[in-house]
Amino acid sequence: MFVITNPFARPAATAIEAPPGIASGGTSIALDHVTVAYGAASTLALTDVSLRIAPGEFVCLLGPSGSGKSTILNVVAGLVKPVRGSVAAGGSQIKGPGPERAVVFQDAALFPWLTLRQNVEFPLRVKGASAATRTAKSESLLRLVHLWKFRDSYPHELSGGMRQRGGIARALANDPAVLLMDEPFAALDAQTREILHGEVERIWAATKKTIVFVTHNVREAVRLADRVVLLGTRPGRILEERTIDLPRPRGANDEAVARIAADIARRIAHEVEKVASEEADDAHGADDRVQRSGDRAVGTAH
Amino acid sequence: MRTIAFSAVVIALWALLTSRGSPLLPGPAAVTRALLSSVADGTLPAAILRTLARLGVGYVVALVIGVPLGVALARVRFVKETLGPIVLGMSAVPSICWLPLAILWFGLSELAIQVVVVCGAVLPIAIATESAVSQVPPSIDRAARTMGARGTRLLLTVTLPAALPGILAGAKLGWTFALRSLMAGELLFVSGGLGQMLETGRDLGDTALVVAIVLVIVVIGRASEVLLFGRVDRLIARRWGTA
Repeated sequence: MFVITNPFARPAATAIEAPPGIASGGTSIALDHVTVAYGAASTLALTDVSLRIAPGEFVCLLGPSGSGKSTILNVVAGLVKPVRGSVAAGGSQIKGPGPERAVVFQDAALFPWLTLRQNVEFPLRVKGASAATRTAKSESLLRLVHLWKFRDSYPHELSGGMRQRGGIARALANDPAVLLMDEPFAALDAQTREILHGEVERIWAATKKTIVFVTHNVREAVRLADRVVLLGTRPGRILEERTIDLPRPRGANDEAVARIAADIARRIAHEVEKVASEEADDAHGADDRVQRSGDRAVGTAH
Repeated sequence: MRTIAFSAVVIALWALLTSRGSPLLPGPAAVTRALLSSVADGTLPAAILRTLARLGVGYVVALVIGVPLGVALARVRFVKETLGPIVLGMSAVPSICWLPLAILWFGLSELAIQVVVVCGAVLPIAIATESAVSQVPPSIDRAARTMGARGTRLLLTVTLPAALPGILAGAKLGWTFALRSLMAGELLFVSGGLGQMLETGRDLGDTALVVAIVLVIVVIGRASEVLLFGRVDRLIARRWGTA
């Protein structure tokens, strides 16, 4: 066991417990042998990925760029179709986007022509909810993310962190079972990110959503997740999974978090080095061929 | 304030330079007289009305064709691959070049001159709309789809509002193109309107009238800019957070 020294730790009585969904078992999301290819050249973004996520579980997909972590998220969101394999949510096959799987985007993707409140009400409007329902729901959600005061502001009038909280409120509007978060805090400063980690953890505990959270930030993944799924590149695939059973709430600077993060970072560095050396080998091979063909200009650069 | 002072200086210089009274260089006084007399005998108001009516009709038709065409160019692959290159190619043709054909087809009629106005405005509107719709951030589109918006609803409640600032820029461009095409058309084609008054001025050697009409066209251009687009521009800037 790790020694935990958490400067932000609250008294044990208020500690956030994992929602009961995990203990009760069952599967919220199931990917079976999923392969995704992009473009005319059919470049593989993901190859043979199988992953099971329990209801109420908080899973972070972690990996360097090109590892297909956002692709997994888009497959679950129904925005990308795999060429092979099957994806199911709540026991039924995913055929396209659905209200039970909401997405929080990296740039929040709030609609600039709507006020914050109208943005949160947009998915309810699409669903055909009554005006009374929309008003009540948007108020409770904006209060949940502490943006009630800014309900009549337009997105460009808000800070990046506030826009992200707005994006989370909008994603929660249809009361989805699954919240898919695609590097939602990557563009924010460290302090804002730290605050939002606490908020996401609190919202997760309060709403008991299944959360799939994509990030390339190792500390962020360990700080938030019940389980970290580590992805490798060329082609994107699952390297390993780690259960993080540290008590909550956690801090990104906790000693235990830092230690696990350092260990995972070493694993990723190893993977990135491997890819880099493969690239170097490729380049080397190309140079050899060029030299054999007698092109000195390129040969001297070697 | 500065604008008014500068205008006063320009008019004073103009009066000074034309004080020798050459008939080829009308001064501010002569131009004002021409303006007042053409207002008094009713020819100028009639010409303005005629021109504005043509402009309004042609412009609305150009919007009704141009915006959907632009959306289709951006979103419908078949249209993009078939009409796309043609639209870009045709936009190089000054719209007045269509006048001979329009006259052969429709005779010396209102329709012929409207064809020229529509041809002038429709392509800039379509091209600006195409680029505005193409440049809607993919995350906006994906966000809408994950929230269940599809088809016509996606187009009307998400894609078009997201592209509105760009579409409006195209609409403004279309207005100036429509006005230019109409002036060219009316100059070449005896049918009333401000363009014909310019032509009349030339026939009579009445330079004061020609300058007066040019000033009227300047005022129409500025007024439509301020009255028609100014308010919409400010609204867009406030809500979309652009500029």
